[in-house]
Parts: sequence; structure tokens; C-alpha cells
Amino acid sequence: MAPAEATRRVAANPIRALGRSTLAAIRSVGAVAVFAVRGVATALTPPWFPGQIWRQFGAIGFFSLPVVGLTAVFTGAALALNIFTGGGRFNAEQVMPQIVALGITRELGPVLAALMLAGRVSAAIAAEIGAMRATEQIDAMRTLSTDPFRYLVGPRLLAGVLMLPLLTAVADTIGVAGGWLVATRVLAFNPTVYIRNTLDFLQAWDVVSGLIKASVFGFIVALMGCYHGYNASGGARGVGRATTHAVVSSAILIFASDYLLTTVFTHAAR
Amino acid sequence: MGVVVLALAAGFLTYSLSVGGVRTSRGDYEISAKFGEAGSLAPGAAVSVAGVKVGTVSRITLEPKTYLAVAKLSIDPSVKLPADSTAKITSDGLLGGAHVAIAPGAALEDLKPGGEIQNTQGAVDIFGLIGSVIRPQGGGAAAPSAPAPANPATQPAESY
Repeated sequence: MAPAEATRRVAANPIRALGRSTLAAIRSVGAVAVFAVRGVATALTPPWFPGQIWRQFGAIGFFSLPVVGLTAVFTGAALALNIFTGGGRFNAEQVMPQIVALGITRELGPVLAALMLAGRVSAAIAAEIGAMRATEQIDAMRTLSTDPFRYLVGPRLLAGVLMLPLLTAVADTIGVAGGWLVATRVLAFNPTVYIRNTLDFLQAWDVVSGLIKASVFGFIVALMGCYHGYNASGGARGVGRATTHAVVSSAILIFASDYLLTTVFTHAAR
Repeated sequence: MGVVVLALAAGFLTYSLSVGGVRTSRGDYEISAKFGEAGSLAPGAAVSVAGVKVGTVSRITLEPKTYLAVAKLSIDPSVKLPADSTAKITSDGLLGGAHVAIAPGAALEDLKPGGEIQNTQGAVDIFGLIGSVIRPQGGGAAAPSAPAPANPATQPAESY
């Protein structure tokens, strides 16, 4: 009977593990949704904490400018070189400015800015809130009748949604400038013709759709940081795990929602 | 550091706007032209006289009654076009988009703002041209042209 019992358990184990992980995945989707709704509700209703909101605008927006700017300038430059090579294969090097501008504004500007923010901001938020959770500061906050959601999560969500589009606007400009630099210095394009081609070609929707994407990405970055930090458990190791999870999950969600949004925009434009 | 990035972005933006010129709001006047075939002409395409850009295509709509494409052209106010000018859609290159080339006429009066260019020539369908060269008969007669060359060869053989 004992050997039979053992084989049964071995046979059942993978199924049990599968069931357990499925349930855990569904559970965490629900938890994130509830967390998001609560966070949005506190972000949109008074009372607000202007000092906190202002500080998060600075931390998420202003101090991310150097990282985002550097990423954008090098991406624009590399993109220009690559499209020049690719366009050369069917004698269409001259459309390079337009393609660089389109690629930067519609896709690379928002996605790269969001990814840099996932690394810089999401991790910082998760570590900060996770450490507060580990040292029971969040419980202390509740004891002092301050809603930790209102004080910690709301301002960060607001800052993410409002700041990432602004960062993306800067990234778009700097990215096109990077492409322009390479095109004029290395590939002997005429500087004014390059810019005129770009401006004539770009439509408002190219830029606006990128900014809409950016604000969704900003929400994801802030939400993932807050969620994983808020639910961190297990002391210092828990904080480390929360940070990793925040960065990985926000990066994956950024790409997934990027495809989704692009699909919606493509159908809407038709 | 953030200030430096902002300053660089602002500098590039002002430079490009000063160079590229968003010139639709400079008192351009608008005229219209009807084409039988607009092809790949799109809003934002250039309008040129003798190869020099004098304006842009601002809007393309379909006139429901006549099924003609109506292009609104906004033209630089310093350029006065004679009333009998000809508008023609030409392509920028083999892969490029299309633009409107205007050949000025000889009439004494000019086109008024809101006026219409009467003489137009729509986009040329390059693939249609290629097709008509390959199958010169055109229309229904050209449809069975694939077996047609075989027929003269086989017919004598059969009637023989």
C-alpha cells in the first residue's frame, strides 16, 4: 500500500502544483486590480497631500530626465544609422528622417522612457514602501489615522500618470535630435531638409498616441512599484524580492499593454 | 542635469520650428482642385510651382455626387496663380508620396481665395500603365490574352 500511495502522490504532485500556481496567478491579478482601483480612488479624491505629490513629481519626473534623455539620444542615433542601412537596400535612404521620427514618437520614445522608469522609479518605490512595510511604518501610519494609500500610493500614481508623458515629449524631441545629429554629422544629410521632412511628415496623432501610451505606462510603473512594495513580507529579503518583482512585472506589462494599445490605435485610425 | 536635458530639448525644438516653419497659420489662402484620381496624395503633401514649394495640401475629401476627389490647397499669399492654371498630381519618386504641381496659366485675372482650379490632371496609375503595356487590347478583349498567343499556334495544327 505504501508504494502505491507514493506513486499516487508523485503523479498528483505536478497537477497540484499547476493548480496551485494557477490559483496564485488569478489571485494576484485580482489583488492588483483591487489595489489599482483603491489607488486611483484615493488619487482622485481629496484630501490630497500636496507636499507628497510635489515631491513625487520631482522624484519620478524631473530626476529621471538625464536617464531618459541619454537613452533617447543614443537610440535616435542608432535608429538613424540602422534605417539608413536598411533603406539603402532599396534606394530609399532619403525617407530616413520620416521613419526615425515615426519610430521615436509612436513607439520608442514612450516604451524606452517607460522602461528606464521601470528600472529607476518602480524599483525605488518598491524598495521604499517595502522597507516601510518591513519596519512597520505603514502600520504606525494607520495608527496615527493617516491612510497609507492616500499618503504613499496616490501621489505616486498621479506622478506616474502625469510625468511620463512629459518625459516622453522630451524623449521624442531628444531622440529626433539624436537622429538628426548622426544624419547631419556622419551621413551628410542637409540639416534643414532633415528637419523640414520630419515636421512635414509627422502628424499630431503620431505624437499624441505616444503620449497616451506613456501615461498608461506611467500608471503601470507606479502601480507595480507600490503594489509589490506594499505587499512585501519577510524583512530585508522580502524587500529585495519586491524590488525585483516590481521591475520585472512592470517591464512585461509595459510591453504587453504597448502591443494592446498599438492594436487599438491602429484600428481607431482606420 | 535635468535642467541641461530640458534646455537641450527646448533648444532643438525652437531650432527645428524656426527652420522647418509651421507655416499654415501665416495667412495662407485656400483654393480647391478636383481630381478624378487622387492616388497616394495625402494631407500635408507639397504644392509646388516650377518645383518650388508654395503651399501644402490641407484636406482631401470625396465629392459624393460626382465621385471626384476634392483637394484643398493652402497657398502662400505672395504667390498669385492665374485663373487658368493647371494642377497635376505627380509622384515624388518611385517609392515616394505624391505632390501637386501647378503649371501657371496665362489668364489676366488671378485665382481668388476659395477659388477652384478648373484644369486638373489626376494621379497616374503606374501599375495600370504597366498593365496596359503588357496587354495592349485592354478591357474585356484582353482578359483571355494569356491563352491567346497559344491559339494561333494550335489552330493551324488543328485545321490542318
